Amino acid sequence: MAPDATFRFDGRPVAARPGQSLAAALTEAGIRAFRETAKGARRGIFCGMGVCQDCLVTVNGQPNRRACMTPAAPGLEVATQAAFARLDPGATLPERPPARSIAPDVLVIGGGAAGLAAAAAAARAGASVVVLDERKVGGGQYYKQAAADAPLDPQQAAGAALIAEARAAGAEMMGGVEVWGAFDGLLFLAEVAGGALVARPRTAIVATGAYERPRMVPGWTLPGVMTTGAAQTLWRSYRTLPGRRVAVAGSGPLNVQVALELARGGAEVALVAEATGHPLLRPAAAAAMALTGPRLTLQGLAMLAGLRRRGVPVRYGLTLDAVEAAEGGALRATFSDGRSVTVDAVLMNDGFEPQNEILRLLGAGMDWDPAVGHLRARRGEDMQTTVPGLYAAGDCAGLGGAPAAVAEGRIAGACAAAACGHGDAWDLFADRRALARHRRFQRALWRMHSAAPRPLDDAPDATILCRCEEITLGEVRAGLADGPGHVGTLKRATRVGMGRCQGRYCAAPAARMVAAATGRPMEDVSLFAPRVPIKPVSIAAILAAQEAVDGSA
Amino acid sequence: MAAPDLLVIGGGIVGQTAAIRAAEAGMRVRLVDAGVNAGSTANAGSLHVQLQSRFIRLFPELAPNVEASLPLYLAAVREWERLEAAHGPFELVRQGGLMLAEGAEQMRFLEGKAAREAARGLSVELLDRPALDRLAPWLGPQIVGAELCRDEGKLNPLVANRALRARAAALGVEMRADRIVALEAGAGVAARGASGAVHAARQAIVAAAWGAGALVAPLGLALPVRAEPLHMNITEPGAAQIGHLIQHAERSITLKQFASGQIVIGGGWPAESRGDWATPAVRAASLLGNVALAARLVPAIAGLRVIRTWAGMNTTADGRTVLGRLPAAPSVILAVPGDAGYTLGPLAGRIAGELAAGLPAAEDIAPLSPARFAAPVRLGASAVRLSA
Ligand SMILES: Cc1cc2nc3c(=O)[nH]c(=O)nc-3n(C[C@H](O)[C@H](O)[C@H](O)COP(=O)(O)OP(=O)(O)OC[C@H]3O[C@@H](n4cnc5c(N)ncnc54)[C@H](O)[C@@H]3O)c2cc1C
Ligand SMILES: Cc1cc2nc3c(=O)[nH]c(=O)nc-3n(C[C@H](O)[C@H](O)[C@H](O)COP(=O)(O)OP(=O)(O)OC[C@H]3O[C@@H](n4cnc5c(N)ncnc54)[C@H](O)[C@@H]3O)c2cc1C
Ligand code: FES
Repeated sequence: MAPDATFRFDGRPVAARPGQSLAAALTEAGIRAFRETAKGARRGIFCGMGVCQDCLVTVNGQPNRRACMTPAAPGLEVATQAAFARLDPGATLPERPPARSIAPDVLVIGGGAAGLAAAAAAARAGASVVVLDERKVGGGQYYKQAAADAPLDPQQAAGAALIAEARAAGAEMMGGVEVWGAFDGLLFLAEVAGGALVARPRTAIVATGAYERPRMVPGWTLPGVMTTGAAQTLWRSYRTLPGRRVAVAGSGPLNVQVALELARGGAEVALVAEATGHPLLRPAAAAAMALTGPRLTLQGLAMLAGLRRRGVPVRYGLTLDAVEAAEGGALRATFSDGRSVTVDAVLMNDGFEPQNEILRLLGAGMDWDPAVGHLRARRGEDMQTTVPGLYAAGDCAGLGGAPAAVAEGRIAGACAAAACGHGDAWDLFADRRALARHRRFQRALWRMHSAAPRPLDDAPDATILCRCEEITLGEVRAGLADGPGHVGTLKRATRVGMGRCQGRYCAAPAARMVAAATGRPMEDVSLFAPRVPIKPVSIAAILAAQEAVDGSA
Repeated sequence: MAAPDLLVIGGGIVGQTAAIRAAEAGMRVRLVDAGVNAGSTANAGSLHVQLQSRFIRLFPELAPNVEASLPLYLAAVREWERLEAAHGPFELVRQGGLMLAEGAEQMRFLEGKAAREAARGLSVELLDRPALDRLAPWLGPQIVGAELCRDEGKLNPLVANRALRARAAALGVEMRADRIVALEAGAGVAARGASGAVHAARQAIVAAAWGAGALVAPLGLALPVRAEPLHMNITEPGAAQIGHLIQHAERSITLKQFASGQIVIGGGWPAESRGDWATPAVRAASLLGNVALAARLVPAIAGLRVIRTWAGMNTTADGRTVLGRLPAAPSVILAVPGDAGYTLGPLAGRIAGELAAGLPAAEDIAPLSPARFAAPVRLGASAVRLSA
C-alpha cells in the first residue's frame, strides 16, 4: 500500500501522498475553492508558488496558511479560510521561539538555476555558502524537482545534478526558509517553520527568480483559473493534474511546454491560445530565433509537433477575453474570436515579472526595460549591483531564462567568493561567452511572443485589477480622475495594491496607467515603494527574530 | 486667472481643512503642496486625548505644554466628529482609549496622570484587571490594570483624507503640486516654487509641518520644528474584536483595529531618516520591537501575519500647537498642530482658515501664538512689492 498523508478538509477526508502540497491534494480531490474573501467571493490556487496569497486555508486552527506551500501530513485538520480570522482571546505566545543566526561569506537567496550555480561556484572557490529557499521542493522554477517521485524528464534530471553539484562543493542548503526582510548593511530576516533565521553575510547573491504575469480578464480570480506555472508545479512536483480538461492562454514558450507536459500526463488540452501572430507570418523573427538558438528552437518546434500529434489545437493571434463559472464547477473561457470552451481549469501566462523586492529594498539601481515591461537590475560584469556586496543573478534581475541564469549564477558565485578572499574569479571566460549567447537567444525568442505587457485599455471596468483588495479597473479609473501624480497616491485613495500580495500583480499595470495619465516615463520610482515584509510574516517569526537580533546586538 | 485671496502652503490635514474653511467663507484659495512626507498620509488614525506616555518620557521638559493643551485635544476630537457628520463616514469610532499598566508602579503613574487629566475636563477612569477583562478580554496575563479615557477614538485617515480632498475640490480650492523655496511677505505674500512659478496672494497659511521652519525663518521666526521619522505596521484582517485604542503606561505603542479588520501597530518607534525630502527607511529593530511588544500586550493577534510596514514623517516642535499670525509678517498665518497632529489637525486648520477669513474666533488662541518663537527680523527679507 502506498504511504498515505490523508488529512481532513472541512471535516471530510482528503487523500494525499507524502510530500504533496495541500493545494495539490485538494485539487486532485476536485476541491478548488480554499478561502472566502471580504466581499464573499471564493478563491483557490493561482500562482502555485507562494506569491498571490489566494490559496489560504486554516491548518490545525492556525489561520492563513498557504496551501501551495504547506505539505500534506496525516491527520491535519484543514479548513476553508474565512475572510476574517478569529482572534483567539486565550492565545498564548510561543515560549522560546526557535531562532538561528548565520554569517556566511556568501548568502544565496533562492535555490533555482541561478542560485544553485552560484552556490556551487562560490563553495568550490572555498567560501562558506548558505543557500536559502522558501520552497521545500528544490530546484527553483525551471529545475523544480518532484516531491517524492523519480525525475520526470531530462530537465528534472539536470536539476537534480545541479543540486548535487552545489551540495558536493560544500554549500549548505536550507529549504522552507522564506526571506521576508532585507535591511541596509546586509541583514536578512527569514521565517522558517514559525521560527526565525537571521543572516548577516559578508556578501549576498539574490537569485529569487521571477513570477508570472497574468492575463487580467473578467473572471481571472475564479477558483480553477491559475497561472500556467502553477499548473506546471502541480504536475512536475506533485504529479497532480490541474483538471481533466484545460485551456491555456497568453503568450510565450511556457504555455506550449506546459500544455504538452499536461497532455502527456493525461489531461485533455482543449485549446492553446497564443496572443501573437503565427510564426510563419513573421519569418524574420523566426529566422533570428533559429539562428541564435538552433537547439532550443528545435525543441520548441518539437513541442508544437507533439501537441499537433495529440490533436491539441494551437491558435495564434487569439486572446482570452473572459472566464465565467459554468455548470458543475466547470469554467467557461471565452476568446477574442467569440469561441468558448468549457474546461476544469484555465491556465494563463503572459510573461514574467522579476522578484526584485530584496534588490529594490536595499536600494539597488534599476532600469526600466520597455521591451519586457519590467525593471532590470543595473549590474557590473561581476553581477554586483550598485550596492556593494550585493549581487543579483537570474530572472530576478530581469527576464533571461534558465541557461542565462546558470551562467550568471556561476559568475556571481565566483566573484562574490573572490570578494571574500576565496579564489580569484579569473576563469569566467566560458561563462561570459555562454551568457552572451543565451541573451541573444532570449531577445530573439521574445520577439516571437509579446514580452511587453498588454495594455488594459480595452478591458471592461468590472475586471478585477487588485486581487487581494478586490479593486476593479473601474474603481482605479475613477481614482485616476483625481489626478494622482504617483501610484502611491492612487493606492492610498483606492486601496489598490494594499493587500497581502503587496501589489505583485496590480502594481505594474496601475503604475503604467498613472504614467500614461501624467505623461511620465516608467522607471523604478513609478512603482510602489518597496517595503518589508516582502511576504506576510507570522508574529511568531517576528518574536523569534527579535530575540535573535537583540541577543546579537 | 486672478490671484487667489489665500495661499495655503502644505496639503496635509491642516492645510486641507484650512483651505476648506476659508473657501467656505467665500475666499478664493490656492493650495500648494510638495507631495513629500506628509504625516497625514502616513499616520495611524488614532484620536489621542490623554497624555501620551511616549511624549512625556521623550520630552519631559515639554510635558507641561502638552498638559496645558489637553482641552484643545477634547475640542479637536469634537471637530473630527463634526467633520465626519458633514463629509464622512471616516470610520470614526470613539470607544475610548486604554492605557495599560504592567505593574503596581505603572498603575500609580496612571493614577497621578488620571487625576491631572480629570482636572482638565477629560473623562477618565482607572480599571483593575477584572474590570478590564469585561471590556477587553484579550489582553496578556501580565496586565494589571489600565486607565480608560472615554474621549479617545480612531478613524481611517485614508478615507478621511480622500473625502476632505473631494470637499476642497468641490469648493473650488485650486490644488497645485509645487515645493515652495522662498516665501516673502509684505502687504501680501509671494511664494516662489521649485517649478519656477510665483504664487502670489493677499495672505498665506503656512501648514507645511516639518517644512515650515525654513519658510518662516526669513520672516522673523525661529520655529523649532523637527522632522521625526516614525515606523508603522499593519496585519492582515481579523474578525472585529478590538474597539479601543490601546496604549501603554511606559512603553511606546499604539494598537487598534481598523474597520477592515486589520490591526495597526505603531506608537512612535523610530525610522531611518534619508533627509527631510526623501521617504524614511524602516529599521529592523523598530519593526521587531514594536510588533513583539504588541503581541505581548495583545496575544490574540498572534495568529495574524504582518503584511506591511512603513515609515512616515512626524513633526515635533515644543509640544504645543503653533497657531496665529507672524508677529513680523501679519499676512502670514502659521499652523503647526503639535503632538498627535492628526488629531489636532482639523481644529488647527479650521481656526487658521477663520483667521484668514477675518471671522471671529470661538477659541482663545493667544497661548498658541507663534510670537513665542519671534527672532530678530533679517532686514530686506520680508518686504516685497506685489503686482497681483
Ligand atoms: C512558475 C514558473 C515556471 C517556469 N517554468 C519554466 C520552464 O518550464 N521552462 C523554462 O524555460 N522556464 C521556466 N520558467 C522561467 C524560469 O523562471 C527561469 O527561466 C529560471 O527558472 C530562472 O532561474 P532563477 O534561478 O533565476 O529563478 P528560479 O528558478 O525561479 O529560482 C528562484 C528561487 O528563489 C526562491 N525564492 C524566491 N523568493 C524567495 C524568498 N523571498 N525567500 C526564499 N527563497 C525565495 C524560489 O522559491 C525559487 O526556488 C518558469 C517561471 C516560473 C515563474
Ligand atoms: C507614522 C506616523 C503615525 C502617526 N500617527 C498619528 C496618530 O495616530 N494620531 C495623530 O493624531 N497623529 C499621528 N501622527 C502625527 C500626524 O500624522 C501629523 O502630526 C499630522 O499629520 C501633521 O499634519 P500637517 O497637516 O501639519 O502636516 P503634514 O501632513 O506633515 O503635511 C505637510 C505637507 O507640507 C508639505 N510641505 C512641506 N514643506 C513644503 C514646502 N516648502 N512647499 C510646499 N509644501 C511643503 C509636505 O510635502 C506635506 O505634504 C503620526 C505621524 C506619523 C509619521
Ligand atoms: S497559490 Fe499559493 S500563494 Fe499563490
